[in-house]
Amino acid sequence: MTGAGGPDPSAPAVELAGITKRFGGIVACDQVDLTLHRGRVHGILGENGAGKSTLMKVLIGLVLPDAGSIRIDGQPRTIHDPLAAAALGIAMVHQHFSLVDQLSVWENVALGEEGRLKSAGVRDRVAAISRQYGLEIDPDARVGDLTAGLRQRVEIIKCLRRDPHILVFDEPTSVLTPEESEQLFSTLREVVAAEGRAVVLVSHKLDEVLHATDEITIMRQGRVVDRRPTTDADARSLARAMVGREVSLRSERAAFGIADIEEAADSGTLAEIEEAERVSDVGVEHRPPAETTPSNGPVLRIEGVTVKGRGGARLLDDISLDLRAGEIVGVAGVEGNGQRTLGDLLSSLVPLNAGRVVVNDAEVPTGSPGAMAKAGVAVIPEDRHDSGVVLDMTVAENLLMVDPYRVARHGVMDKGRATEIAEQMISEFDIGCSGPDAPLWSLSGGNQQRVVLARELAAEPDVLVAAQPTRGLDVGAIEYMTDRLRQTAVDGVAVLLISSELEEILELADRIVVMSRGRIVGELSHDDANLETLGLLMGGSEG
Amino acid sequence: MTRGARAAEWVVLYALSIVVALAISSVIVEATGGDWWPVLEALVDGSIKAPGRWGETLGVAAPLLLVALGTVISAKAGLINIGQEGQLLMGAAFAVYFSFRIGGPGPLNVVLLLLFGALGGAVWASAAGLLRYWRGVPEVLSTLLLVFVALQAVGYGLKWQWLLLADEASRGNRNLVSEQLAKNNRIPRPDIFGNEFPITVYVALALALAVAYVLARTVWGFRLRMLGHNPRAAQRSGVSSTVYGATALAIGGAFAGLAGAAMFAGGGFSFGNYRLVPGFSDNIGWTGLLVALMARERALPAVVAAFVFAMLRTGAGFVNSTGVESRITDVVQGLLVLALLVPPAVVFLRDRRRARAAATERV
Amino acid sequence: MVLIDFFSAVGDVLSSESTYINGALFAALLAFAATGEWVAERSGTLNISVEGMLLSGAFAGALGYHLAESVAVGLVLGAIGGLIIAVVQAEMSHRLTADQFVVGLTLNILVVGLTGFLDREIDPRADYASEVEIPILVDIPLFGQALFGEPWPFYLLYGLVPLSWWLVYRTRWGLELRAAGENPQSADVSGIDVNRRRRQSIYYAGLTSGLGGAYFLFARLATFDDSVIGGQGFIAIAAVIFGGWTLWGTMGGCVLFAGALSFQLSLQGLGYELNTELLQALPYLVTIGAMAIFARRVRPPAALAQPFIRGLK
Repeated sequence: MTGAGGPDPSAPAVELAGITKRFGGIVACDQVDLTLHRGRVHGILGENGAGKSTLMKVLIGLVLPDAGSIRIDGQPRTIHDPLAAAALGIAMVHQHFSLVDQLSVWENVALGEEGRLKSAGVRDRVAAISRQYGLEIDPDARVGDLTAGLRQRVEIIKCLRRDPHILVFDEPTSVLTPEESEQLFSTLREVVAAEGRAVVLVSHKLDEVLHATDEITIMRQGRVVDRRPTTDADARSLARAMVGREVSLRSERAAFGIADIEEAADSGTLAEIEEAERVSDVGVEHRPPAETTPSNGPVLRIEGVTVKGRGGARLLDDISLDLRAGEIVGVAGVEGNGQRTLGDLLSSLVPLNAGRVVVNDAEVPTGSPGAMAKAGVAVIPEDRHDSGVVLDMTVAENLLMVDPYRVARHGVMDKGRATEIAEQMISEFDIGCSGPDAPLWSLSGGNQQRVVLARELAAEPDVLVAAQPTRGLDVGAIEYMTDRLRQTAVDGVAVLLISSELEEILELADRIVVMSRGRIVGELSHDDANLETLGLLMGGSEG
Repeated sequence: MTRGARAAEWVVLYALSIVVALAISSVIVEATGGDWWPVLEALVDGSIKAPGRWGETLGVAAPLLLVALGTVISAKAGLINIGQEGQLLMGAAFAVYFSFRIGGPGPLNVVLLLLFGALGGAVWASAAGLLRYWRGVPEVLSTLLLVFVALQAVGYGLKWQWLLLADEASRGNRNLVSEQLAKNNRIPRPDIFGNEFPITVYVALALALAVAYVLARTVWGFRLRMLGHNPRAAQRSGVSSTVYGATALAIGGAFAGLAGAAMFAGGGFSFGNYRLVPGFSDNIGWTGLLVALMARERALPAVVAAFVFAMLRTGAGFVNSTGVESRITDVVQGLLVLALLVPPAVVFLRDRRRARAAATERV
Repeated sequence: MVLIDFFSAVGDVLSSESTYINGALFAALLAFAATGEWVAERSGTLNISVEGMLLSGAFAGALGYHLAESVAVGLVLGAIGGLIIAVVQAEMSHRLTADQFVVGLTLNILVVGLTGFLDREIDPRADYASEVEIPILVDIPLFGQALFGEPWPFYLLYGLVPLSWWLVYRTRWGLELRAAGENPQSADVSGIDVNRRRRQSIYYAGLTSGLGGAYFLFARLATFDDSVIGGQGFIAIAAVIFGGWTLWGTMGGCVLFAGALSFQLSLQGLGYELNTELLQALPYLVTIGAMAIFARRVRPPAALAQPFIRGLK
């Protein structure tokens, strides 16, 4: 069976030619060509900011290109908006933000369609699609009650219900356990092989692109730098094409998700180059952390902590964790397993139902305003807009949020001094903005993140909590952030790294705990941990 | 865009929206058979030009400004206090109770009665604060509902001599009325060029400067604004929403209560002639709220807005003689506030779009 | 003794048919407003201009009667009167992104001024709508007259409330507006024009509240003046919160709050000498008390009162 044929069944499903899109002075896409064939999975690989998401936005009608042409099934088309894209059979599985928690599965699937709402019809169709692809789901379940993996199923069903010819997956594995990713890719294969759909897999992870695609297009700085059949590709050459130079820094490799591939490939040489570069380029010695502060007791002790949410669900369930000065402890786990609550807890945002949190031998009244900051716990929150910054205030004000008293006398703030300090921090952390008085919302996400980092480090904390610190940042910014975190630990701060990027954790952490369903289900030393053991821990407790 | 061009753009946008608001008002007047121009003239006559009128206008502007300043403070904390009318009345009632049932020594009496007024407003607003932070009742509802309760409570007080009611001798033929404040206990109204107004005008101006300074420059103001913009970021940074929010509501109420006390002890306009009577608050609370909204919840612009709205009030008395119903001034007030909401929204949307275009793909 | 007096008074009031008739009259006013307000809040707008919509509706109702001497025309104009306020509110808060509370407050005050100014231009006296009794049902003791012997516009509610429920829970429009109220970002990504749905929900609130204002004019007042609504719109908002953003809970809130009002009126009507100020404050105190008990127990729509600006979050 082949997909519904266009006017010219032999033509490629999609031909993008010479697509160019500028935003202000920045060229997001520069003369990009892309051809998608039915029955194949096409990987688009690139760093964040390489232009792959803009390209996909052009395809699904969220962005109008400045130049270039689009042919669907051989016919020239203009795609003005997502509805036009849907009419042409193009659909996208979003990684976040397209489901409404409070609605049921079938309601979510029906959302965004047109015509009369018939619940029985939608339910039947959901059931049929579930059966067909082995995506088992209860159509009447509330989406908010589902795990991340099941939520993604809903997304995929929502997409497939429209029977698209062209299916775009945008970073689909970021919310999945390794097993769930595996299952996703087998579904993907089925969608492609059995029904002749064209599938695009947008990713920054080399191994999954190598694993799941038939052909690969690599983008860098808005251009296509390489394309080839997957059979002709290997991790090293892809990484080189993606970054434009030899990949050597560990942080970059982590960002690309090739921490394990390296071991299978030519790990010897890579490691050598890397050690050399580490010393010369980064200037941070690799340090065995336990040796720097061997005798000190833990700076942060979390003892038997339980936090209940609305309706009594245990968001954190009897968690215990120690953190010593100078060590980086990674909290691994699939998103939505209590990491956010852990971050909130250490941001004085939630009170405890049981247990206690001790910093420097003093119990902290969690949930009382600013208690954690006062105790010496700095936080780079997972969602900076939620509790990290105030968008409507200036850069300077955001930099002084936690400790305005440092520029104050008798309760009055010294504007000149505040500006001075802000300018200093702006230059030290290379924050791109028009000045200390720029409103924070005018900054890009990466620069907003730097404001948070600068402020939190300025407080000279004993503990730094970094929750998903590199999410959505480009490679340069990722490198900067990981170096900063490492340096912070060297300076004797206890760092708690909460991340769903396993590679990042393997890369940075001295000790790793795995969270699942609000519990700590395992602890590993850096040397015992690898993607496989972590994946098992994360997934094993899922079912 | 250069700084100058931007400023010019603001001026043009604001001027345009004021013109539109006035144009709509004129259309309403003309459509109902009146003439707009004489109405405008009467407004100016009644508020400034006629003898003694600008003093009168200042006397009205003072309580309006006080109410608006309180509103600005609670709004900065992200709270929507719309119960100023009741808080003001409570303030007046507290001041009256103090004046006739407690009393202070001589000249201190005036100061104390003003403070009692502030206390009354603060108590009333704090009831809403308590409901909000202890029971989760949205303050937008509780403050409003408490207005109606305040009206009844003061009505009750005016029925009983041990509370607010005057003794029979000084009651005259009136039923619900307090005693009249003795001359030596009133707020002074010095005469300047044939205009007189209570010195609370100066107090209100000083307080406007103080509020602007506190909000912009002090740590307390900084943290209050932080709370208003992002409560979670504030909580993390050590700002207790309960403490700061309840304080901001109480201060907001205190300003309204102070306005009520100042109306009682300052005389002028239709403020009960140094007596508490039913209907004493005379919508000053509501109008003060509008003043704050028109000033976009900033202290210094509120000074201008308060004067403009006071003009509309004192001028209204002269409008009737033109054959047009004086309530047209209420319409003008509302339209002005609505019109002034447009320019910032338009500029915000445009800036936002530009910033987004520039930031896309840099994230 | 006072206590015994009080209880006998309560007994008298509860066994008096007029308590229920009055209660139903007020409950209907609240219900007209609260139904639309509920729809608006489910889409994410805490629409406080509902007060102004009621007043505008009552005025437009009087205008309609003045022009056509017809209650029906008055009701239609009433709905339009509410809609006009809704359009201003919706355009300013969900197109220009001005603060929805500021817009709503200003509109409330503006409508008082405007109707106060204009009611001298028309003859504000309307008439009562004729009463229609539904046979048999009207003979039910105590409640019969209240529920089935009312002025005819009252019966519109029996259609309007189920219609609103059906619209919100059974139509695509309702699904989309609920999504807009819970998670506007997701709704946006799914291809829904969030602010458009929110504007439409406000229009709906304007129509029902305008109708409610006109209903109140013809069922109870017969003469318009600018103080007739006197905060009932805010009590309708309280009813929505009290009902935990479910329609039936909201209707329960309307009945409770109207009951307090009618209790007070009946007590006075029966000639009991109780503290009149306390009684007059009673409806507001009951509302505050109910809020204090229930406000924390209910879950509002997740994006209630949060503006949606694409790309802000």
